[in-house]
Amino acid sequence: MPWRRRIAQALLAPVVLLYTLATVGPFVWIVVLSLRITPDIFRNPYGAPVPAHWEKYAAAWFGSNYDVYFFNSLLVVGCAVAILTVVGAMAAHALARYRFIGNRFCYFLIFSTLIFPPQLIIIALYQILIEYGLFDTRIGLVLVYVSLNLPITVYILEGFFRRLPSDLYDAARMDGYSEMLVFWKVSFPIAWPAISATIILNTITLWNEFLFAIVLIADDSRRTLPIGILKFMGDQGNDVGMVATGLMISVVPVLLIYAFFSEKLIQGITAGAVK
Amino acid sequence: MASELPLTRKAAILPEEADLLRPPRLSRWFGEEQPIGAVVQFLLPALLFYAVFTTYPVVLTVWDSIFTVLPNRPTRFVGLANYATVLFQDDTFWHAVHNTLIWAVFGPAMEITLALLLALALYAGIPGSRIFRLLWFTPVLMSYVVVGVIWMWIYNYDWGVIDTLLRLVGLGSLARAWLGDPAVALPALIVVTTWMWTGFNMIVLLAAFHSLPGEVIEAAELDHCSWLQKLWFIMIPLLRPTIVNLFILSFVGKMKVFDLVWVTTRGGPLWATETVSTYVYKRAFDWSTFDLGYPSAIACIWFVIVLACVTVLSVIFRQRRKLEF
Repeated sequence: MPWRRRIAQALLAPVVLLYTLATVGPFVWIVVLSLRITPDIFRNPYGAPVPAHWEKYAAAWFGSNYDVYFFNSLLVVGCAVAILTVVGAMAAHALARYRFIGNRFCYFLIFSTLIFPPQLIIIALYQILIEYGLFDTRIGLVLVYVSLNLPITVYILEGFFRRLPSDLYDAARMDGYSEMLVFWKVSFPIAWPAISATIILNTITLWNEFLFAIVLIADDSRRTLPIGILKFMGDQGNDVGMVATGLMISVVPVLLIYAFFSEKLIQGITAGAVK
Repeated sequence: MASELPLTRKAAILPEEADLLRPPRLSRWFGEEQPIGAVVQFLLPALLFYAVFTTYPVVLTVWDSIFTVLPNRPTRFVGLANYATVLFQDDTFWHAVHNTLIWAVFGPAMEITLALLLALALYAGIPGSRIFRLLWFTPVLMSYVVVGVIWMWIYNYDWGVIDTLLRLVGLGSLARAWLGDPAVALPALIVVTTWMWTGFNMIVLLAAFHSLPGEVIEAAELDHCSWLQKLWFIMIPLLRPTIVNLFILSFVGKMKVFDLVWVTTRGGPLWATETVSTYVYKRAFDWSTFDLGYPSAIACIWFVIVLACVTVLSVIFRQRRKLEF
């Protein structure tokens, strides 16, 4: 048996390595491109980054408005994720721990949004935000982002809260905790593994969000990173080296999060599918 | 507050334990034993967000769809005229539907087939599977903007990876501007989403492989099942619910696809990659038509189509599952 296993492995190894090259290769290429200047790239698109032009990062950051885009992304995503976590966890707690009329209805209502095509709300959202003076503001975008990711957050957390033993809650109530205190002192800390997974999931998906940002933000000073990159592509798309540097600026935070929390992140992103 | 303590304990019954089939007694729902105040407190913020940013927009979209909505002008009631135009006169819409459906069927099929093969490779015990798993997952983490730009360069005619490789092996005649040729632009973009999402599907499938009941597989081994038989007759049927879920998830995702198209081709060349999402966006915000009623009608029709497809898919798969047992 072992030799047959060897052969199978020997046959599979090239396939696996080829696929790895296909997934990672493009990123390696972008890293290399981000360190080279465009004339060099056009002379030889696959050359090594020697000498490495690190100053391009500074040029993109200060010269092409990437500092503004980065800060906007950070602000919008940070606020949205903070609100999402609290609002989503509270709703999930209520749906998982209390019985009341319309419990399953609320759950179904929130869950059903997962299959909504975004077009169904985006045109009207555009009108609504204009009406309330929230169009082209970062606050408006934060509020929309919260509502966008609320369903998946509630869905993941509800599944987790449901499995917590009810003795825990009984004990807390015996000690005279109010319902609010039970949530903050019992549910929240115990559910931290699931909550942190949703935090990371939401951070990544909103950091990458594109459609709502392009519709609801107009002014350059309020653009988030994905929209900023697209604008740069429109203005100076032929400057391949500089575009690559811009891409790297938006990718590095994601890769850092992935480097530290890869398992958590995988857990969060796949949570919706596995159940 | 103190008097409530012993009573509120009943509220902590898990929903599974609760006999939900019994007709509810009114006192249970409205009596003092339910901490309704707390429930409202917990649920209100989420429901508020839901009402203002989801329910209201959906209702407004449906309402808009029977009007002509122009900026700085009174909205004009047109009844079902928008719907009639979309359904019977708008060739671009049907072209977009056609493209999107092709994407939504072939995309998931390719993703899941490839993911199944890769998951099997790791399940079969390729060394270093943890690392491969992490590396294969990276494309999902990138925004469509990043992925779109990278693939525009990969597909570039002059110096893209694919054409360079083709020329290198003497197949230069096959080299082309992959995203500029109407015949191959859509398949080229489907390859991109497949590249992006295969790792995600692979991880879910791998987890499912590892949770297969060991005794069933051992029994098959005792019966001298070959690897292929084991896979086809035992593992795949056991994995069916996971595969169905992944397919529907991916299908719904592809029905929404916008970002990638917008970054790379904007629906071109010659509508070859136009999807419903990009078409709605163009009608609402990009072309100078300014009317928001018409794209709202498209959005409503599209929602009905998506809902119908998802229902049909899940019904088909569930029925076949029933027949097997």
